Amino acid sequence: MAAPALSSAADPASEAYRANTEAHTELSSALRDKLAAARLGGGEKARARHVARGKLLPRDRVDGLLDPGSPFLELAPLAADGMYEGQAPAAGVIAGIGRVAGREVVVVANDATVKGGTYYPMTVKKHLRAQEVALDNRLPCVYLVDSGGAFLPRQDEVFPDRDHFGRIFYNQATMSARGIPQIAAVLGSCTAGGAYVPAMSDEAVIVRNQGTIFLGGPPLVKAATGEVVTAEELGGGEVHARTSGVTDHLAEDDAHALSIVRDIVSTLPARGAPPWTVRPAQPPAVDPAGLYGAVPVDPRTPYDVREVIARVVDGSRFAEFKAEYGTTLVTGFAHVQGHPVGIVANNGILFAESALKGAHFIELCDQRGIPLLFLQNISGFMVGRQYEAGGIAKHGAKMVTAVACARVPKLTVVIGGSYGAGNYSMCGRAYSPRFLWMWPNAKISVMGGEQAASVLATVKRDQLAAAGEKWGEDAEEAFKAPVREQYETQGNAYYATARLWDDGVIDPLETRTVLGLALTACANAPLPTPDPTAPGYGVFRM
Amino acid sequence: MTTKNAGTPVMFDTVLVANRGEIAVRVMRTLRELGVRSAAVFTEADAEARHVREADTAVRVADYLSAAELVRAGAVAGAQAVHPGYGFLAENAAFARACAAAGLVFIGPPADAIELMGDKIRAKERVQAAGVPVVPGSSGSGLSDAELADAARRIGVPVLLKPSAGGGGKGMRLVREEALLAEEIAAARREARGSFGDDTLLVERWVDRPRHIEIQVLADGHGGVVHLGERECSLQRRHQKVIEEAPSVLLDPATRAAMGEAAVQAARSCGYTGAGTVEFIVPGDDPGAYFFMEMNTRLQVEHPVTELVTGLDLVAWQLRVAAGEPLDFAQQDVTLSGHAVEARICAETARAGDGRVDFLPSAGTVLRLHDPAGPGVRVDSGLAPGTEVGTAYDPMLAKVIAHGPDRATALRRLRAALADTVVLGVDTNTGFLRRLLAHPAVVAGDLDTGLIDRDAAGLLPPGVPDEVYAAAALLRQDALAPRPDPGGWTDPFSAPTGWRLGGESAWTVHHLKAPGQDPVTVRVRDGRVRIGDAPPFEARLTVDGPRALLHHEGTVTAFDHAGEWLGRDGDSWRVQPHDPVAAALRRAAAGAGGDALTAPMPGTVTVVKVSKGDEVTAGQSLLVVEAMKMEHVITAPHDGTVAEIDVTAGATVAMDQILAVVIPAAADDEAGAGDPRAADPSGATPGEGS
Repeated sequence: MAAPALSSAADPASEAYRANTEAHTELSSALRDKLAAARLGGGEKARARHVARGKLLPRDRVDGLLDPGSPFLELAPLAADGMYEGQAPAAGVIAGIGRVAGREVVVVANDATVKGGTYYPMTVKKHLRAQEVALDNRLPCVYLVDSGGAFLPRQDEVFPDRDHFGRIFYNQATMSARGIPQIAAVLGSCTAGGAYVPAMSDEAVIVRNQGTIFLGGPPLVKAATGEVVTAEELGGGEVHARTSGVTDHLAEDDAHALSIVRDIVSTLPARGAPPWTVRPAQPPAVDPAGLYGAVPVDPRTPYDVREVIARVVDGSRFAEFKAEYGTTLVTGFAHVQGHPVGIVANNGILFAESALKGAHFIELCDQRGIPLLFLQNISGFMVGRQYEAGGIAKHGAKMVTAVACARVPKLTVVIGGSYGAGNYSMCGRAYSPRFLWMWPNAKISVMGGEQAASVLATVKRDQLAAAGEKWGEDAEEAFKAPVREQYETQGNAYYATARLWDDGVIDPLETRTVLGLALTACANAPLPTPDPTAPGYGVFRM
Repeated sequence: MTTKNAGTPVMFDTVLVANRGEIAVRVMRTLRELGVRSAAVFTEADAEARHVREADTAVRVADYLSAAELVRAGAVAGAQAVHPGYGFLAENAAFARACAAAGLVFIGPPADAIELMGDKIRAKERVQAAGVPVVPGSSGSGLSDAELADAARRIGVPVLLKPSAGGGGKGMRLVREEALLAEEIAAARREARGSFGDDTLLVERWVDRPRHIEIQVLADGHGGVVHLGERECSLQRRHQKVIEEAPSVLLDPATRAAMGEAAVQAARSCGYTGAGTVEFIVPGDDPGAYFFMEMNTRLQVEHPVTELVTGLDLVAWQLRVAAGEPLDFAQQDVTLSGHAVEARICAETARAGDGRVDFLPSAGTVLRLHDPAGPGVRVDSGLAPGTEVGTAYDPMLAKVIAHGPDRATALRRLRAALADTVVLGVDTNTGFLRRLLAHPAVVAGDLDTGLIDRDAAGLLPPGVPDEVYAAAALLRQDALAPRPDPGGWTDPFSAPTGWRLGGESAWTVHHLKAPGQDPVTVRVRDGRVRIGDAPPFEARLTVDGPRALLHHEGTVTAFDHAGEWLGRDGDSWRVQPHDPVAAALRRAAAGAGGDALTAPMPGTVTVVKVSKGDEVTAGQSLLVVEAMKMEHVITAPHDGTVAEIDVTAGATVAMDQILAVVIPAAADDEAGAGDPRAADPSGATPGEGS
């Protein structure tokens, strides 16, 4: 397919370009600082203590597990950012996709330097999210376990509910049942519920004199029965490898355990061919480095989203669909790192036509088995009497239906605003995209802070007026300011990523690399094949 | 058929080259130039060897040392003559006679001359009678131990014990203390018996800081004998020559003429024909006092230096003399022009230890080969890419010879040529020789046969240079580069970028180990290399076929590479991947007293096949435990030594009871494994030249 190549209209000499570059540079430098801080886990002292025990640091464990030079697509590296008084960098667990023995696998590694690797609510959420990624993409799971179990002070937020701690083991069982291998290496504590991670795995390794697995630790045993026993005697490597059979392999140290895990992964069946046609990748013809200059950081400043597409897709080639219709939504076919994608990108507010166009295009991609890439920068659907009367709600619903029901992998990058129903029609988190990332400049909330403040102020003013009271301008402003502030805070990309509303905040310049890796991960799962006896509907021309 | 010295000389049509390696290749070169067909012989191990490929025809033989086989090969090839090369049967009178009996011309001296000069004692007596000075030593053959000891005391220590039947320095023993005489005589006899099947010994005065100078002679069958000047071969290790040159800086024209005349007399005294060499030992401080040592009745390894300074082809003259031609020049026509130096490239590994250096024979497959070229440079080589360098034959692989108008130029050219010599796949002494040639004493011409043994340690590089590790790691990094699928698509997870979110990639770690060195961890990331805990530095590698250029710190260092091997300036390094986990497990096993073998289930020991201290190999069965009517054979988990055997046949054992402990061999150095000759530093092999 020799799709036409996009070019850039951005003028590197312009003041706007310079200002954009400066603003993006500042944002990505802040992102790097945050990532670097999170990489250190529980801090210098905890790290030193960890290493003094002869243990590898969790990131060194991940690096040592992966094939030499393997990329690692980390998930939610800034989970719990700004939460729990800053006590849980990365939520105390490292998760991501990397290559082991030539296979892409999901790795979940507890960081024992963060509160002993105990599970905060966001730790649970991140662990479950990693399992979801494994399930959706049929990726084997490797758990590098070093955790004291649930973080007891917050037991109400981690234990009882459906998507709490127990779900981890539910997932292990159900994934194993679906042929998704579950492998654990016990590199430290594995206490109480945590004991089920290796116990529920298909194959498990434990490190002698270091890994322990028990339902109740020595203090609990003493309290319960009076029996005095050391942790090693109670649930050490020798016990589980020789006597209990809870583990299958006994390792001498972390490096040995990782090497055994690599050997285990090498016995797994090879992944199948990608479920779509891949072809040699080409770098974009338009230099991706210009993203900073071409894209305004303020979602309210309009620009042509093709400036982004040109810098992300192979050869900057983009075969646009319905270019002349519903122009506030840009749709078309392209390739990213050799993978075909159908791109759905906002270029302004959504009207009925753009929603219909979007629904039609998503149906096309679904029929053709082409993954969808949503580039989300949307303040919402058009409002007003004319539009409501024109049925914008039902037109929007068509697009939302198409998004929700598409069988192909969906990937979403929030490159600007993500507001209201626009979030839904552009495959927000609730529509189960395989992956979702935000740029540092992105904002996410039910509506903009200013609009929310105005809406609330209008309601309030009407109430006051009904009560015959007057509302001064100063008072109104004093009312609106905290609303604006709340939306500003909660709409921030870091607030979002801390809560696992996404899979990470990424530097715009990393978008292409991240998408390439993610699409490759997606390609591990076959597409659901349509049932020829129940074909359903064809593509609706809207 | 051509018969030696009969009628009009006619050059042979086909000559059998009864040898292998570089000398066979070199003889064939002259045969080609003379328009004579060459017939090679080869053993099964040498079927793909270069000398076989370069011959016009080749005949398989069971053994290079079997006269009958070689004669048969000569008949099969339709040869009229046999060139024996050096080593093997070159100085075997019986072979010369067998050739004659089969109607083949033996290209060498008469069998009687071989026999005479092969007997060191009779040779000495004969040349002494002809007026040639000899080293003070024992007289008479078949001396008893007591007679040898008496002679040694009379001459005065230090003395050298030499096997009468030996050559090339093999089996010689230096005795500096009278008290050790009996013991050393016994040892020398054992060695002589083992090597030559003849334990007759002689004893000679040992000359300290001696220089080894030999005279090349050429004699025809018509009474013409000339000498072609001298070669100095004083750079030796363990009595094996490694560097030879012509002429010697020690000799003035008068001494040269006198020694040359003595050599001619020695040749005449035994009725010599063809090319031969008369070896003298010369005290370094008194070149006028030269002593006859022995006469080598064949072409010498180092003959090329004489060829380069005289302009004569000695092999051609051997053939012409054998065909009955007279020499067409006289002594006064012989002129020595310039200076030539030869270096012997040998398959060996230098291992420093305890203030000295051992040169252990090495083996391997030649993965990459480059012969140097340039003005005055000559290479006589038996190597070809893919050559298997085994341990069955002489470790000498090739010779690099340089000629120049003067000694300094020849040395410079040889050093440059050695720097340009590439042999990857087997350890060689090339880099060592190159450094030896820069030794101040060598540059000054102040040579003696003990120089290498004294100074070798200083001529070894202290370790593996960082550049080598950097290049090896970058080559391995390159090798990680992904292979696209059939459609050309590359899985981005397979690209060895170490990519991580947030702009900082992870280091790609390469665990490397060079033989005899500690393992080294080299990390690579975004054009930077970090060796061990040292600070990272900028480095990148450009690979152009067999060459790899390391760009670092503003310089470019060029390497040759093949497989796990890197070469530069004559040195080569094998840098292998290292598995630290496996190494740690082996260390732990050794530290914990080795691998304890335990009973797989309760039962009775029925057979114990080894005892404590036995050497065992991986997989060897050690004992048998019978349980539940099944026999469980307990095997050695690795090569090693049985450190404990805790049970006897008939013993009842519990499950997991320790039965035996095997300490792994070379637990800390897997590099030594696979070198079958590493345990034998003498490296004595058949077919050595001198």
